[in-house]
Amino acid sequence: MSSWLFGSSSSSSQSSKDATSTNNDNNNEKLKQTLGFDPSSVTDVSNILKAPGIFDSSRLHPLAGLDKGIEYLDLEDEQLNNVEGSQGIIPSRSWSDDLCYGTGAVYLLGLGFGGLYGLQEGINNIPKGAPPKLQLNTILNHITKRGPFLGNSSGVIAMTYNIIDSTLDAVRGKHDDLNSLGAGALAGAIFRASAGVKPMFISSVLATGAAGAWCGIKRYLQ
Amino acid sequence: MSADHTRDPCPIVILNDFGGAFAMGAIGGTVWHGIKGFRNSPYGERFVGASAAIRTRAPVVGGNFGVWGGLFSTFDCTVKAVRKREDAWNAVIAGFFTGGALAIRGGWKHTRNSAITCACLLGVFEGVGMMMQRVFAQPAVAPVYPDEPQRLAA
Repeated sequence: MSSWLFGSSSSSSQSSKDATSTNNDNNNEKLKQTLGFDPSSVTDVSNILKAPGIFDSSRLHPLAGLDKGIEYLDLEDEQLNNVEGSQGIIPSRSWSDDLCYGTGAVYLLGLGFGGLYGLQEGINNIPKGAPPKLQLNTILNHITKRGPFLGNSSGVIAMTYNIIDSTLDAVRGKHDDLNSLGAGALAGAIFRASAGVKPMFISSVLATGAAGAWCGIKRYLQ
Repeated sequence: MSADHTRDPCPIVILNDFGGAFAMGAIGGTVWHGIKGFRNSPYGERFVGASAAIRTRAPVVGGNFGVWGGLFSTFDCTVKAVRKREDAWNAVIAGFFTGGALAIRGGWKHTRNSAITCACLLGVFEGVGMMMQRVFAQPAVAPVYPDEPQRLAA
């Protein structure tokens, strides 16, 4: 009595396999005739997603240009530096990022090492039997004498180096170790330009060595 | 307020600000002390005087700028991390701490006055920046729709 509501369950489950398949065929035929189409040929969402190459963006409309990546999202001022070979440790947008990060890092290193040297020098030079306030003052005086001096000098060298390096990159259109070495040599020479030829040469050699060491460190870290 | 994508995320941006402020100070100091040394030297030694002034003073100006900018950026990041919000007060609070930290060897009164002055200065900067933003903001223009074509009499 309730077969129209709950479906006929008893007859097909107890019959044999052949009988089930023929029964299914019969059911499909019946459904096809009542519905007007074959329900097994209808694709659902999982069928669509399983089809091969469905996520291939080149098969979408060619005018959308989706196969080129998401370049329409790359805003002008957010592009990374695209000079050949310029991809360093920190992603850099342009020469100004290189300048800021390079100068800042070297300046802080110089400040730190100079400060440590001044700390050691100050501890060694504490006057005998001085009150604690005077002891602290001695140490602070030595730190602030050595730290900023070394920091300023190294910061100026790093700034000159980065400016020359970026200029060479722009002129040559690519970045390699030769640029770094040349920029180091020039920066070192400019730093001691007023002291005479020999100090200039020594400083130039030292700066070139530092630039070469930095190239090696960069290659090791990457 | 949309995020500012031209600046890097917080801990690393301190390095950027240190270097940027140092470079700004050093280049500005070169120009400033170059002109000053040139004008203050006797005739015949003007370029020598300018070069000497640049060599001795420009790195110091750069260092002063760099320490200020780096300290400010450090305090700005700290305040951002503590308050967990980004508004104009961050700069004012960071300016307060920066001014105080730089003057801390001059005694309690000097530290307090310097901190308050620096905070007020940063407050003025932020206020002027906001006003500029409001003045130069593009006013919202209502979209113009084309007129409906006139119905032809049938």
